[in-house]
Amino acid sequence: MKPTALQLGIRRRQIGCLCAAVALLASSPASAHPHVWATVRSEIVFGPDHKIIGIRQAWTFDEFYTAMAIQGLDTNGDGVYSKEELAPLAKVNVESLHEFGYFTFVHFGDDNKPLPLGAPKDYWVEYQDPVSTLHFTLPLKTPLDPRPRPVAVDVYDPTFFVAFGFAKKDPVKVSGSIPADCKVELEKPDAEAAADAKALTEAFFSQLGPNSNFGSQFAQTVNITCKK
Amino acid sequence: MRVSIRTALLACFVLMISIVGAAAQPAPPSAFGASPGASPSAPTPPSDTQSPPPAFSAPQAAPLHAPGLVGAFFSWVVDTQQKMQRELAGGVKRLKTGNPFIAAVGLAGLSFLYGVVHALGPGHGKTVISSYVVANEETVRRGVMISFAAAAIQAMTAVTVIGVFAIALNASGLTIKAWSLQLESASYALIALVGLWLLINQLRGLWRRWRPAPALAAAGAGGPQIDLDDHDHEHGHAFSQGGHSHDHDHHGHHHGDDEACHHIVEAKDVSGPMSWHKIAAVVFSVGIRPCSGAILVLIFALTQGLFWAGVAATFAMAFGTALTVAALAVLALGSRELALKLGGTSGAWVNGVWTACAIGGATLILLFGATLFAASLGPARPF
Repeated sequence: MKPTALQLGIRRRQIGCLCAAVALLASSPASAHPHVWATVRSEIVFGPDHKIIGIRQAWTFDEFYTAMAIQGLDTNGDGVYSKEELAPLAKVNVESLHEFGYFTFVHFGDDNKPLPLGAPKDYWVEYQDPVSTLHFTLPLKTPLDPRPRPVAVDVYDPTFFVAFGFAKKDPVKVSGSIPADCKVELEKPDAEAAADAKALTEAFFSQLGPNSNFGSQFAQTVNITCKK
Repeated sequence: MRVSIRTALLACFVLMISIVGAAAQPAPPSAFGASPGASPSAPTPPSDTQSPPPAFSAPQAAPLHAPGLVGAFFSWVVDTQQKMQRELAGGVKRLKTGNPFIAAVGLAGLSFLYGVVHALGPGHGKTVISSYVVANEETVRRGVMISFAAAAIQAMTAVTVIGVFAIALNASGLTIKAWSLQLESASYALIALVGLWLLINQLRGLWRRWRPAPALAAAGAGGPQIDLDDHDHEHGHAFSQGGHSHDHDHHGHHHGDDEACHHIVEAKDVSGPMSWHKIAAVVFSVGIRPCSGAILVLIFALTQGLFWAGVAATFAMAFGTALTVAALAVLALGSRELALKLGGTSGAWVNGVWTACAIGGATLILLFGATLFAASLGPARPF
């Protein structure tokens, strides 16, 4: 049946609205835009009773961020940025990381809520021209036995201001006494993973707004799995 | 008729492609020696191989991957930005080691490209400027001019911040970051205020338009409300056929479609004629936020003892960000025009589009500024 002139008019207006929406979306902030790059090396620390007691992080920052971070901190002017001179930087870094969950999310089995982490210990910044590395140890509030259920550790910034990526070489290590049947390994990104329509939509809209969860799609996971 | 709808759909599709293109084109993958789909099995070598290798070799991260097609696109965007940033660092260093002229030209080109891509991130006035030009009767030329002015002021703010804090005061990076964040907060607050101001102006225009005639006449006699009207009616002149252009205060709005033309004139008047005050407010509110990319380049250049190169790079970068912002503003204006055309000649439609653009654009600026301002008061970022 031939559409009436009125129907056509309405349809054209719908298209017009669509174009206007496109115009607005075009100007929306895109968050695929990290300002800082960090190369992650994580160490899963086991206690003597074979439980995970914490995660030792070493995050190496890019040259630009490093230049910014160490600016003005060579307080004795000897051209060397010593551990002591960089101590205030390390302190501010780890203290403000608290609000962001240390960008480290430990999941036990299928639990959605990450496990609580204690205040970071043994933190310092190491400057090795041209980059700097923040070292710190995050204790688990309660030591965790990985044998009943697998443990996953994600390192990412949900807002993607910082792009965290695990190192190509030695991304994860184990220290302490890991149970005999357990292994710690970095999950390979699944390039074949087909995103369904919902995920696509979420990925698109998650970049809008300051409370975005854009970074989660780039999250890399360390899996601690044990044979039953 | 069906053909015209298809054409319209095609136009929308082309628009969407051009948005993606705007993100993709400035950074042709070949320029950085990696294909977009670089697989993890074939990692690209670090791009700063020209500089003498330091005794210590920094750990390199594997490229990031997000699932799905959209994820692959974002991954490529992120990867390209990292490569650009490394190239930029290399470009500054080559000023000391390589041929200074070639290195300077190279650095300017790189900074420009970096700016084009960098502007896609938040904080460069894309939303504010696009919304502003759509909500007001601005031309493409003015949209471009506003984008360039805002980028230039952002660059000057960045140079001033680094000049004062890093050079004059030898302040620490933490202090500089704190001041940048203060300026960012102030910028968002001002953006919200500008949005509010535009919205009030436009609602007032709308109110004048829909007010019944007798009340209007009374208000006209009352005087002060009329004084609030800062429109110069230049559009009335452009569209006038006979003596109608200055008659706003005297018609009610009970006309039939035969008088649609008058509606067009009035709807456009709601969005307001060009005003230097408004433009200055938009440019200033966006401009007092120092460009984050420029801050990084300036400090990096400073550590290399090449502050002047950082300043030059900052302005090359501002040129790049201005181009991106201007392109999006033009795109937004084009979409408005398309929306106007697609609706046909009906006065009510044209009126509706103008009203929606005027109110919607101002509201968007207000909400955008307010949301980002609120977010900027949150906990300070660690890095």
